[in-house]
Amino acid sequence: MSVLRPLDKLPGLNTATILLVGTEDALLQQLAEAMLKEDCTSELKVHLAKSLPLPSNVNRPRIDLIVFVVNLHSKHSLRNVEESLHHVDATFFLGKVSFLATGAGRESHCSIHRNTVMQLAHTYRSPLLFCDLEIEDFRATMAQRLVRMLQICAGHVPSVSALNLLSLLQSSENPSLEDL
Amino acid sequence: METQSEEEAAAEAADSRGEGEPPQVAGAQAPRPEDRMALLLRVRAQTKQQLLEYKSMVDANEEKTPEQIMQEKQIEAKIEELEKEIEEAKIAFEMKKLALDRMQLSSALKKHMEKINTKTSVLMDNMKQILSLNKSVMKSQQETRDLEDKLLDVRKKRLQLKQASERKLFEIQTEKNKQKDDLGSMENSGKIKTVQQNLEMEIQITTVIQHVFQNLILGSKANWAEDSALKETVLQLEKNLTMIQ
Repeated sequence: MSVLRPLDKLPGLNTATILLVGTEDALLQQLAEAMLKEDCTSELKVHLAKSLPLPSNVNRPRIDLIVFVVNLHSKHSLRNVEESLHHVDATFFLGKVSFLATGAGRESHCSIHRNTVMQLAHTYRSPLLFCDLEIEDFRATMAQRLVRMLQICAGHVPSVSALNLLSLLQSSENPSLEDL
Repeated sequence: METQSEEEAAAEAADSRGEGEPPQVAGAQAPRPEDRMALLLRVRAQTKQQLLEYKSMVDANEEKTPEQIMQEKQIEAKIEELEKEIEEAKIAFEMKKLALDRMQLSSALKKHMEKINTKTSVLMDNMKQILSLNKSVMKSQQETRDLEDKLLDVRKKRLQLKQASERKLFEIQTEKNKQKDDLGSMENSGKIKTVQQNLEMEIQITTVIQHVFQNLILGSKANWAEDSALKETVLQLEKNLTMIQ
């Protein structure tokens, strides 16, 4: 089955799995390493993918959080992400998907406008994070943030669920572009 | 393309359950009973939360989705309604929690009060200071209110004076207008016309009499240039009596 569903497998004990989807291999690798360096009481598993659908022959654990990494410098990464989004089940978007836009620091190289990514995140009602993954400090902070989000999405934090987190994140974001 | 990496386990790595979980990394410390306990409790909490999530998904799937294709706007409106309901539920819950906390606090306070010596405790000092501050706050609020009342009275008086002056000016204006109208009407009235007519007739009679005298003097062939009175009478021809009007 080529569509990713959030709850089709049973969770592993004390395990949380995150899937990073993006075209920039080096950045994803660095982010994965930064996340694994974070100390966290649950076991972390980081899967990297260039695009969905994932090959179905591999036995992989239940995925708790998908982060789509868009590089603002290349339109190809945006298109790649848009195509991969079709292979994700709708129930995933209840808090278990997040968008990460990188490369916003160097305005001159940006070929995608910020608003495009914001519109994409708004269409899918998912949180959008901005981070320059090339700078190590920002990467470490973002890794920390992602680890916390992952813990919540995997159900490791009592009394906070992914949907809860989503509604918390949404209320502090800017109003939608249509309302402006 | 897919790569996979696993975390090197921390001290709580080795699972005490041990069913099918391979030992993580050589060099992990021997699990102490407290760590094992902590792990167990944590896993218990996680399992509870995950169970809750699965349950809610099952409940959500049981709900019938509307079959007809609704407009996107309607769907968005429905979503907003549901979100509002969620927010209201959250707020109600927070209020209830607050009320409970308050009740707990007051009962704890009561018990505390029963135990201590009421003259010397810091709590009593705080309460006394609070009371005195409240009193001063109320006093200043009262003063503010009085001042505001006074200000309001002054403003009212000013308004009344303005209105009175407005009335007076209006009266003056109407008086002036009346005068003008009276004057205008008087001029048009019949009395003035008759008076004017009489005046005209008198003037004409005087002119005729003047002309008669002049002709008398001229006809008498007397030398009128020598006598000043005669001169005056003749030269009055020049004066146009209608200009007196």
